[in-house]
Amino acid sequence: MLNFLIVLIGKSVSLFSNFFNLGSGGTWPGHIALKLNKNFIDQAIDSKTKIVLVAGTNGKTSTATLITHILTQCGNQVAHNKTGANQLNGIASAIISEIPKLSNKLIKDYLILEVDENVLPLALKKLTPNTMICLNLFRDQLDRYGEIDSIVKKWRDSFSKLSTNTTLILNADDPQMAILGTKKTKNYFFGLNLNLEKEIQHGADSIFCPNCQSELIYKTISFSHLGNWACPTCKLKRPSLDISSSNFFPLAGTYGKYITLAAILFAKNQKISQEKILSSIKKFKPPFGRQEKFEINGKKIEILLSKNPTSFNESLKTIKNQGAKNVLLVLNDHYVDGIDVSWIWDIDFENLLSKSTNIAVSGERVYDIAIRLKYAEKFTHIFTDLDEAINKMIENIAMGEKLYVLANYSAMLETRKILLGRKLL
Amino acid sequence: MKLVIGWLYPNLMNTYGDKGNITVLKKRCEWRGIKAEVKLLNPGFDIKELAICDLLLMGGAQDRQQKIVNNDLRRIKKVLSQKIEEGIPGLYVCGGFQFLGKYYKEADGSMVRGLAILDLYTENPGENVKRLIGNISVQPSFDESFLIVGFENHGGRTYLEKGVESLGKVIRGYGNNGEDGLEGARYKNSFGTYMHGPILPKNPRLADYLTKLALEKKYHQKIKFKKLDENLEEKARIAIAKRIGVGL
Repeated sequence: MLNFLIVLIGKSVSLFSNFFNLGSGGTWPGHIALKLNKNFIDQAIDSKTKIVLVAGTNGKTSTATLITHILTQCGNQVAHNKTGANQLNGIASAIISEIPKLSNKLIKDYLILEVDENVLPLALKKLTPNTMICLNLFRDQLDRYGEIDSIVKKWRDSFSKLSTNTTLILNADDPQMAILGTKKTKNYFFGLNLNLEKEIQHGADSIFCPNCQSELIYKTISFSHLGNWACPTCKLKRPSLDISSSNFFPLAGTYGKYITLAAILFAKNQKISQEKILSSIKKFKPPFGRQEKFEINGKKIEILLSKNPTSFNESLKTIKNQGAKNVLLVLNDHYVDGIDVSWIWDIDFENLLSKSTNIAVSGERVYDIAIRLKYAEKFTHIFTDLDEAINKMIENIAMGEKLYVLANYSAMLETRKILLGRKLL
Repeated sequence: MKLVIGWLYPNLMNTYGDKGNITVLKKRCEWRGIKAEVKLLNPGFDIKELAICDLLLMGGAQDRQQKIVNNDLRRIKKVLSQKIEEGIPGLYVCGGFQFLGKYYKEADGSMVRGLAILDLYTENPGENVKRLIGNISVQPSFDESFLIVGFENHGGRTYLEKGVESLGKVIRGYGNNGEDGLEGARYKNSFGTYMHGPILPKNPRLADYLTKLALEKKYHQKIKFKKLDENLEEKARIAIAKRIGVGL
């Protein structure tokens, strides 16, 4: 009975906040639900609904969206926390919005949830996933998340309790993800055999053996600490890959490849045919702020969420390969972004941003990013006002040309708000 | 003139944007026509390389990395200690700062021996006690005319003993331990600090102070630097200072 009420209240709150255009209203229903019944999440999902969790520092939203897209294209009923709200209250909110009116159970074929790194152990106490997809762990918002090793330790503790009912889809190229499989779980691996870097880049995180701490040797490196790794001491090495290539990638860049492989491997496991997977990923459009494309007055804009050194470096490589001429970098330091901006000094602007690029910076930490570019010896236009930055940059590019906006999380949302009006999705 | 900067364990001790400190020191030298060479001193490096460094830097890392570094530090302890005693300037941030002390007591109570070059020790009060995180402003003792702004994020609490001074007084934030109002340490020309951000980009005066100390030590003469444009740095400092209610 309580859950009927919670769903009713949640839906009303959601309606109310949408009506009054309260941007942050998305997680309120879940927040209230968990206050009224802390077991709401465990109770509200019908046991026939397959639960899929997606975790990792970078690529959660894109992966979960791609998986949802493939499953939906194949005729499944799918629920998904599509706003990217991946704390427990966001998950509860997504569940409420997908429960039919005057009901208390979510009954779908699948529930796809992206889950915050720190919340994952808590989520696993409440949910028994059919599949867990683990993408990667990179240094990110150290003031909020703490250091990678402590996250991995918590994950391993909670994974040890998983049963034979759970399938793990793991990134074999990330040493810390590759070893997450347990004897009970069914473990599948994705990875790449591309040699994209000559040597380990500065600031790579997990380049030591997760078993014996020796420095790992790489046969190939995709980026950061991802690649075909092996330990010279204890002989631990990258597991053999269940998938390493695809005929088509719906997202640009090396990240796009990893995300696609994870999604295809998942789909194969769900017994979806190769043809169906391929035809559906060809119709995929990236989710908000992730290689999301706009057109305003004949001028193109593409937003790439870039939220930590690795994701920023990969965004810079992706747009460099596309011959980017105009770039706007936006740096904020809200709680969701991490209030410490030290990480911008680990971005390789020196080599990844050409001097001839038309570069502008903005955001609440505009001067920090401006100083960073000064030391990289790149000329930069400085805008304290984001609205002005976007408008001036669009105004000054030629017809048919593109402006790339690289922004961290809240900066990406603000950029979209300016381009689209208030609504998130 | 030429400055040789020794970066201790860049592959391991680099968690909090520590590379920024190196970039700033190197570029400011180049912009003033001073050659700057950065030596990357990773575990197992040739000790002769350390001996010729004019300025040393060491950053922070995660526990796992720090264990690897701690083993290598035993090997280089004698030379590093000599350099510090001779007055070779250095900036030791977070983990690097803690290593110079006598010991580090981890959250689980286990003891990690330090190099005992600086008269200080660090204790982590346990995993359930909150880390000291946030923007920080410090009045440095070596120059009363400006405030340092930075960011701190540490679980360990450091306590200074008789043989060492602080880097300065905490104006806003926690500092060494959140209790005694002191931040960092100074011993001869070596500075330990919890401030990253990283510390030097927004505090060019500290960068220049360290560089000057190093060059004066090397060339036995008074050095006068030409002024560099610090307009952006000043704006970035003011923006942070305003948020934490400090007037610069």
